[in-house]
Amino acid sequence: MGKQMTEMLKGTLEGIVLAILAVEPAYGYDITARLREQGFTDIAEGTVYALLLRIEKRGLVDVEKMPSEKGPPRKVYALNAQGSEYLREFWGTWSFLAARIEQLQQHAENPQNEGGE
Amino acid sequence: MAAQWIELVTGPWEDKRRWRRLKQRKKQLPAGYRTAMDGLERYFMYAGPIARGDVYLQMLEDLADLVERAAVDGTSVRSVVGEDPVEFAEAFIANYADGQWINKERVRLIETIDRSAKEG
Repeated sequence: MGKQMTEMLKGTLEGIVLAILAVEPAYGYDITARLREQGFTDIAEGTVYALLLRIEKRGLVDVEKMPSEKGPPRKVYALNAQGSEYLREFWGTWSFLAARIEQLQQHAENPQNEGGE
Repeated sequence: MAAQWIELVTGPWEDKRRWRRLKQRKKQLPAGYRTAMDGLERYFMYAGPIARGDVYLQMLEDLADLVERAAVDGTSVRSVVGEDPVEFAEAFIANYADGQWINKERVRLIETIDRSAKEG
């Protein structure tokens, strides 16, 4: 994953993680693994953990501590009503952004199609 | 040095107990994970001095949770911290900004600009 990818991901990772949690509750390691499966191979577990702490503080997820055989209990994160609302807004923003960027790309790649009106 | 500093800012005995428990937890980590935690703690102290003892302790406890879990699961330090440890550390600190010295100044700046906008 290049530098540019990392930078772009920063602004959207919150929404991506909430979208993963919308499917089912998960703990940090799960989420990192799923992101890696989807091609975000360089994502650090700590980055996801820091993000989970943030969305927990902002009240977007509910946290349950599940005892584990070894080591400290695992924190399982579940999307709550506030998180769902935030995710809905995220998808709206994303669609807007994606459409605008797509349009810009088309104009940039086919400038001759412009000015016909 | 960290211990002296924390003694300066933490009043309550409970905080001191938390601090000792943290040191205990760190002692039980495998060497590599302990080294990583030491490095991160040091960076936290310089990069984002947390004025509030309880917030600082919470930050270190959250870090200990993460590192302990990684040690048990066999997740390497590198895959926890990533290619850019500074970026990770900064993202981590950002969660505790309400305890940072700079936060007072941020609030002051916001209020000053609000006032200036009203003065026209």
